[in-house]
Amino acid sequence: MPLKKGLPAKALFYPMVAIALAALPMIIRSNYWIGTVNLAIIYSIAVLGLNIILGLTGQLNIAQAAFWGIGAYTAALLNTRLGWPFWATFLVAPPTAAAFGVILGFPTLRLSGRYLAMATIGFGIIINLILHNWKEFTGGVDGIPGIGAPVLGPLKFSTNASFYYLALVCLILAALTQVRIKNSRMGRAFRAIKDNELAAELSGVDTFKYRVVAFALCSAYGGLAGQLFAHRTKYVSAETFFIDMSILFICMLMIGGAGSVAGSIVGASLLTFIPEWLRFLQGPWAMAIFGLAIVVIMIFMPTGLAGLVKSIGSKMVMRLWPDAHQEPAELPRKASH
Amino acid sequence: MFDATTLAQFLVSGLAMGSVYALIALSFALLYKAVGILNFAVGESVMVPAFIVVILLTALKLPFLPAYLMIIAVMVVFGAVFQRTVYHPLRGRPFISVLVSTIGASLFLRNTSLLVFGADPRVSPGLFPVQSVNFFGVFVPPQYLLIITTLIVLVVFQYWLFEKTLLGKKMQATAQDRDMARLLGIPVDRIILITFIYAAILGGIAAILLAPIFYVTSDMGFMFALKAFASSIAGGLGSIPGAIVGGLFIGVVELFCAAYISATYKDVFAFIILIAVLLLRPQGFFGEKVAEKV
Repeated sequence: MPLKKGLPAKALFYPMVAIALAALPMIIRSNYWIGTVNLAIIYSIAVLGLNIILGLTGQLNIAQAAFWGIGAYTAALLNTRLGWPFWATFLVAPPTAAAFGVILGFPTLRLSGRYLAMATIGFGIIINLILHNWKEFTGGVDGIPGIGAPVLGPLKFSTNASFYYLALVCLILAALTQVRIKNSRMGRAFRAIKDNELAAELSGVDTFKYRVVAFALCSAYGGLAGQLFAHRTKYVSAETFFIDMSILFICMLMIGGAGSVAGSIVGASLLTFIPEWLRFLQGPWAMAIFGLAIVVIMIFMPTGLAGLVKSIGSKMVMRLWPDAHQEPAELPRKASH
Repeated sequence: MFDATTLAQFLVSGLAMGSVYALIALSFALLYKAVGILNFAVGESVMVPAFIVVILLTALKLPFLPAYLMIIAVMVVFGAVFQRTVYHPLRGRPFISVLVSTIGASLFLRNTSLLVFGADPRVSPGLFPVQSVNFFGVFVPPQYLLIITTLIVLVVFQYWLFEKTLLGKKMQATAQDRDMARLLGIPVDRIILITFIYAAILGGIAAILLAPIFYVTSDMGFMFALKAFASSIAGGLGSIPGAIVGGLFIGVVELFCAAYISATYKDVFAFIILIAVLLLRPQGFFGEKVAEKV
């Protein structure tokens, strides 16, 4: 990374970001927009999960919405049927989603690339159809209403503004955990699998184990996002967790920049807000433009926003310090085909 | 409930639906084989011509033959534009980038169709005046027979195209090894363009066959795309005979499962088959290998 010596700037940067984030509800004020920010945070967590499997490990998972849904339904059922509070579902929902991830991962992760993609599509659809049709358990089309707002001791997070702080803390923890994972032995194993699975295997990386672990982590993030979502909207129904959300999560990640933690969050936030900004255009218009934008972005920004920022950044460094050591902006690996 | 007539009735309906899946799966498999992409907009290449067919036949009151020929012409343009915009600028990039790009195209086409054609489901007039013909006690809608016959004709045509013509050989060579094909003097880019156009025409034919028996909506493509994915996995991803057999298989099994097990979970069976095939025989009925080439 260039600009390692810019420590004073960095020391100022983080407190300023922290203040800005803490003051956000006071600045935005509109309840609706705070709600949208909360949604962006929830999506960011789900996309961070996807970043582990797709961005770091290079495996395509088109079922993140299903894991998101499993987390949400776990929280919803435990809360409404058994009266479990927020913190209890918080502890249970991500592992439940991860368990499903392992159940899906074990048999299918021996498949490679495109086959895995197809298997996850099938899994996502089956989960969705079960949520939709198993009336006794999941409420069927009616969904599950009446999920309690998060309560932690004396604090009640029932308004959008208060929920924002709770969600933000979860996002920061999720992001920091991911940074730790990325720079750990495990993270290096993930990247080795992405770069060249055969070479990784030959170098002694247990690729199958790490692929399952990556899958479990991805679905745990999805489960956490779902748990937050259930307690935020206080209502879950199967339509929300349909495959088009899985696809949207992938678009968020690709546009933000696969492999980048900041990129995942920026991508998720952008794709949450853009449809809102386009709302004046009436439903289908917004979605049509959105679809077109995805194609254009894929063509002109192959590494997503993170790659764009990185390459602009390194160009500026080149201009300022022509002899500075350069790391080229990381291009996604060409899939061996 | 298990008598021969009922079974035959189900079998014919299953084969008809399966033939449609097979056509769409064929379009999907061709592009996978030729350029290694998973085309998520494959359903939209059925939905768009289906709407146009309805417009040509109802609003413009064209006779069937000119309308159908116009659809083929439209799909030639559709395939070419799709290749030039969605695939060509991204060639050589990782398959996930192209996949996301086809997702974008699918969203664009679905919502543009919603704007242009509206949200009301439409149905095109049928080619045949009678609802169904009685074959020894089995009532068969003639449209079903047309669908099954068309599939057979197309399979024969495609066999001839790929095995007996120079163009087909060039298409095969391009699919097998693009660089080698280029070295041999095959205009690879043009062959890929032709493959996209052919895949689009298959979508157009599926649309023509479907429009009289299926409600045409802007969302229909998605469901068909998913069934096509399941079909081509069942048959073996990228295998041409696999796509056809997989499509027929999914069509028939789905119908029998809906009839005898659960109609609510009708759509689940296709995906249970998909996962079961991936677990037991990931290369599908006809595929050769699963590990990615190193």
